[in-house]
Amino acid sequence: MHILTQGFYSLLCVIGFSIIFNLPRRLVPLASLSGMLGWIVYILLQQTATSFIIPAFVGSIFVGLVGELAAIYKKQPATIFIIPGIIPFVPGYGIYYTMFHIIDNNFSQALVTGGESLFIAISIACGVVIATSVVRYIRPYLSQGDGSF
Amino acid sequence: MEETILKKAISTAVETGMIMLQNGAETYRVEETINRMISSKTNSPVEVFVMSTGIIVGAHINGEPYTTVSRVPSIGLDLETIARANSFSRIFTQGDMTQEETEIILSELRSPPKFSKPIRYAFSGMAGGFFVLMFGGSFVEFVLAYVASSITVFSMDKLTVRRLNFFVKNILGGLISALLSIFMVFVVGGLSMTADFNTVIIGPLMTLVPGVSLTNGIRDLISGELIAGTTKMMEALFIAIALAFGVGIVLQGIIAFI
Repeated sequence: MHILTQGFYSLLCVIGFSIIFNLPRRLVPLASLSGMLGWIVYILLQQTATSFIIPAFVGSIFVGLVGELAAIYKKQPATIFIIPGIIPFVPGYGIYYTMFHIIDNNFSQALVTGGESLFIAISIACGVVIATSVVRYIRPYLSQGDGSF
Repeated sequence: MEETILKKAISTAVETGMIMLQNGAETYRVEETINRMISSKTNSPVEVFVMSTGIIVGAHINGEPYTTVSRVPSIGLDLETIARANSFSRIFTQGDMTQEETEIILSELRSPPKFSKPIRYAFSGMAGGFFVLMFGGSFVEFVLAYVASSITVFSMDKLTVRRLNFFVKNILGGLISALLSIFMVFVVGGLSMTADFNTVIIGPLMTLVPGVSLTNGIRDLISGELIAGTTKMMEALFIAIALAFGVGIVLQGIIAFI
C-alpha cells in the first residue's frame, strides 16, 4: 500500500515538473511513467539497502533505461524523458538541511548533509550515464527487427 | 555561390545550437547537432567548441579558415524547444530546405508553444506539493506547499522577464518561498492545525533547486567535457548558494525574533 501511494505521488510530482519544464504535451505520460517507475525502485531499495547512494543510483539507471528506450521509440532526444524522471531523486532536502545547519552554526552536520547531497547528485549522473552507454551498446540489436524500435 | 550557402548553413547551425543551449540541452548534444548540420553541407573538417556560456565554430570555406564566436545567455529549461530543434536539425541535414522554410522554422523555435498560464501554475503547485507528500508530509503541509510552489514559480517567471542577474533572481526566489512558507505555517498554526515549516519549504524550493544543471554538469564531466562540465556545476553551485542565501535571511530573521 505504501508503495502504491508513493508511486501515485511521484507520478503526479513528475507530471508537475514536466509542465514546469514545458515538456511536449504528448510525451508527458511516458516521462511521468518512467519517473514513477524510478521512484518505486528507489523506495523498494531504500527499505532494504544500507547505503544512501544505492537507491538513487539504481533508480536513475531505471529512469535512464526507460528514457533511452522511449527516446528510440518516439524518435526524440532521451534527455526529454530523463530530466523530469530524475527530479524526485535530486537531494532537495539535503541542500536545504545543509543550509539550515550552517545557519544553526552546526558546521560538522552541515558538512555531512552537504557531502551526502553531492554524492547523491553524482550517483544520479553516474546512473544516467551507465544507462545511456548500455543503450548505445545494444541499440543496433534493438533496431534490427522491424525497424520501429 | 557555395560560399554563401555554407555561411548561411553555419549561421543556421549556430543559431539552432544557441537556442538548444539556452533552453538547457547538454553540451555534447549541442556540439553534435552543430557539427552534423554544417558537415552535411561541406566536406572540409568542422570544429565545434561549446561551453554553457558560448559557442565557437571553425570551418573552412574554399580553403580559407572561417570562425564564428557567439555568446549565449542562459534562459532556463524548455524541453519542447529542445525536441523541436532536434527534429529540425535532422530535417536540415537530410534534405534541401529552402531559405524561407529555414527562416520560418528558426523563428518558430525562438517562440515555442507554452502551456497556458493557469495550467502552468496549477501543475507547478502539484510538483512541489506532491514532493512534500513523497517525503512524508501531512495533508495540511501538502496544501501549503502547493500554494507556495505555485506562487514561487509565478514570481520567478515575473523575475525572469525582468532579466535580473541570475544570482539576485535566485536570492529573491529563495526569499519568496521561505517567507510564503513561514507566513502560511503561522496562519495555519493560528487555525489550530499543525504544519512543520521545514517540510513545507521543501516544496517551493524543489521548483528552484538546480538539480538538472548539477546532473548535466556531472554527466559532462564524466564524458570528458571538462570545461563545459565545470561551468555547469559552478552555475548549479552558485544557484544553490543564492537560494540558501535567500532562505537563510528569512530563517535567521525568524531565529532572531522568536
